[in-house]
Amino acid sequence: MDLLAQVLINGILLGGLYAIMALGLALVWGVLNIVNLAHGAFIMLGAYLAWHLYHYLGIDPFLGLPITAIVMFGVGYAVQRGILNLIVRAPMFNTLLITFGIEVVLTYLAQLAFSADFRTINPSYAGSNIAVGPVVIPTVRLAAFGVAIALTVAMWLFLLRTKLGRAIRATAQNLVAARLYGVEPRHLYAMTFGIGIGLAGVAGGLYGTVSQINPYIGATLTAKCFAIAIIGGLDNPLGVIVGGLVLGIIESLAILYIGATFGDVASFGVLVLVLIVRPSGLLGRTA
Amino acid sequence: MSNRKTKLACALLAATALALSSGMALAKDIVLGASVQLTGPSANTGRYYKDAYEFAVDKINEAGGIKVGGEQVKLALKIYDNQSDVNLSVRQYTQLVSQDKVDFLLGPFASNFALADSAVSEKYQIPMVQGGGASDQIFSRNFKYIFGTLAPASNYFGSTVNMLKELDPAPKKVALLYADDAFDVSVAKGTRELLKKAGLDTVMDEKYSSNASDFNSLLSQIKSNGAEAVLVAGHETEILNFVRQAKSLAVAPKMYSFTVGVPSEDFRKALGKDADYAYGMTAWLPSADNKDKWFGDAAQFAEAYKAKYGYEPDYHAASGVADVEAFAQAIVDAGGTDKAKVRDALAKLSLDSLYGKIAFAENGQIDLAQTVIQVQDGKVAAVYGAKGFIEKPKYPMPAWDKR
Repeated sequence: MDLLAQVLINGILLGGLYAIMALGLALVWGVLNIVNLAHGAFIMLGAYLAWHLYHYLGIDPFLGLPITAIVMFGVGYAVQRGILNLIVRAPMFNTLLITFGIEVVLTYLAQLAFSADFRTINPSYAGSNIAVGPVVIPTVRLAAFGVAIALTVAMWLFLLRTKLGRAIRATAQNLVAARLYGVEPRHLYAMTFGIGIGLAGVAGGLYGTVSQINPYIGATLTAKCFAIAIIGGLDNPLGVIVGGLVLGIIESLAILYIGATFGDVASFGVLVLVLIVRPSGLLGRTA
Repeated sequence: MSNRKTKLACALLAATALALSSGMALAKDIVLGASVQLTGPSANTGRYYKDAYEFAVDKINEAGGIKVGGEQVKLALKIYDNQSDVNLSVRQYTQLVSQDKVDFLLGPFASNFALADSAVSEKYQIPMVQGGGASDQIFSRNFKYIFGTLAPASNYFGSTVNMLKELDPAPKKVALLYADDAFDVSVAKGTRELLKKAGLDTVMDEKYSSNASDFNSLLSQIKSNGAEAVLVAGHETEILNFVRQAKSLAVAPKMYSFTVGVPSEDFRKALGKDADYAYGMTAWLPSADNKDKWFGDAAQFAEAYKAKYGYEPDYHAASGVADVEAFAQAIVDAGGTDKAKVRDALAKLSLDSLYGKIAFAENGQIDLAQTVIQVQDGKVAAVYGAKGFIEKPKYPMPAWDKR
């Protein structure tokens, strides 16, 4: 029983980390209709950025998150303005190709710049934990979970309440009407992509404090984010939380009860199931 | 008429080319070809092989090369980057043999690569000495042209299991975790037997996916089944995650040991203080007792290597150097570059080197004893060898909050 409780907690906390990783991907996909295959590579860049801030400037990885987010926002804005805007209305195949290309370029640039060494962001509290009865809760994962929930809710409110958020949603729904109301799509697309990449940067900083960083972590992270976004649905940022939690819990339980090689089988099994039963995601509007 | 002329011209050309190439062959370098992981997820260890091959070839050439049939000949390298892709590495080895026409083959890193690539050396009957694949599978196919300088995977934990019995208090419950690739499956297969023979209680025997990043479920199981010794066969990224997550879940068995990571500087740097107490194994230590024809001894080699590449060589690098030295000696013994003769010379080889005695068993694999090592205060200490304890192991591992 203790073991089940512990594994459930592990799964929930893992889900929080998954959610923050997928949040940016889901936003960009939902609004711009770009499946950003470079999303994981941007998470990797964010992780390296946080590592450098911590290692060379002594900035705590959590306090460094806003800096990472702002820098990565700038990177994202520039990438959309300079590259992706050129093909944003082209068929999806083109956007897949170009984001795949960006993924490859970022990965190999990272190897040139940072070498293939493994890095970790390891502040003194990185391994600390809180014991609640027989269950142990890792502090950093709990904090990462908190950041994930806070950012997702903030994202939700931002899209719902602010002028910029409404403009983003309006553009996604009806470009012509949005333009008639004075929305400048090129700027708006870049803002959206920038926010998505900023979120990826935050996810990277958190990932570095719980896992290890190397130039090649991107591709698997993208695959995870993709699954989460589909399970949760693209209409609503809260869906990403649901998707992340579902995936985190199912993986943890599958490893416990079926076997440690079945984590991915279970998570992609759920993905297929969701696609069959609710193609627009668990929280998505049914067509 | 013109047709006959063309034919004549062609024949002349071919003859000249032949004469030229055979003329050049006398002074030509002996080329060793390899495809290694310089980029991609395995680049972290793959690059050690490129550095080691270059370092050894340069050193041998500095000494004037090797003496073949009364003439000094130099060695040369042809290395491709296989981007950590097995299929690409097989294509590159085929290219090395069929287009680049290299004389001999050096190996890639990792068992799954060596397993696939050795099929190329066997098909073209060109000897490959590889120092990156330890899986017993590579050597169980009666291949004639594959030689390996890593000790058998099945015995990686051999000395560790011996040590377990002598630790005080001796751990009784053991957990065995391993990744689902050729090398780690071989390790697990051998270790399972060893544990059974040692009379230890294996409370957990679990295979996990390569590149898994989440070990929380497995660690929670370890905590709940009370395993005192945890043996993990996996890749360095997985071990890093395993140790970090063990700390954050306050899982501290009496000891844990890993097949990778502990000997490499990179691992200890990434984990900092958290690397302490981790056990591992190595078939090679930079000891001055290992005399070497070209480098003096292993200690001098390690120093020169670190000065050149900026990191300490571990057993991967030493094994890579041993591969080049094995070829150098075998070519001298064979008195030329005839593939079959060099193959036979390799099979008979007995060379004292910085890596230890290089001599291959009937199946082509070297047999070296594994020394148990442990990270103690950020440094690697040899704690248990063939003759028992060397340095006192720090045992049992204290709880994470009592370090």
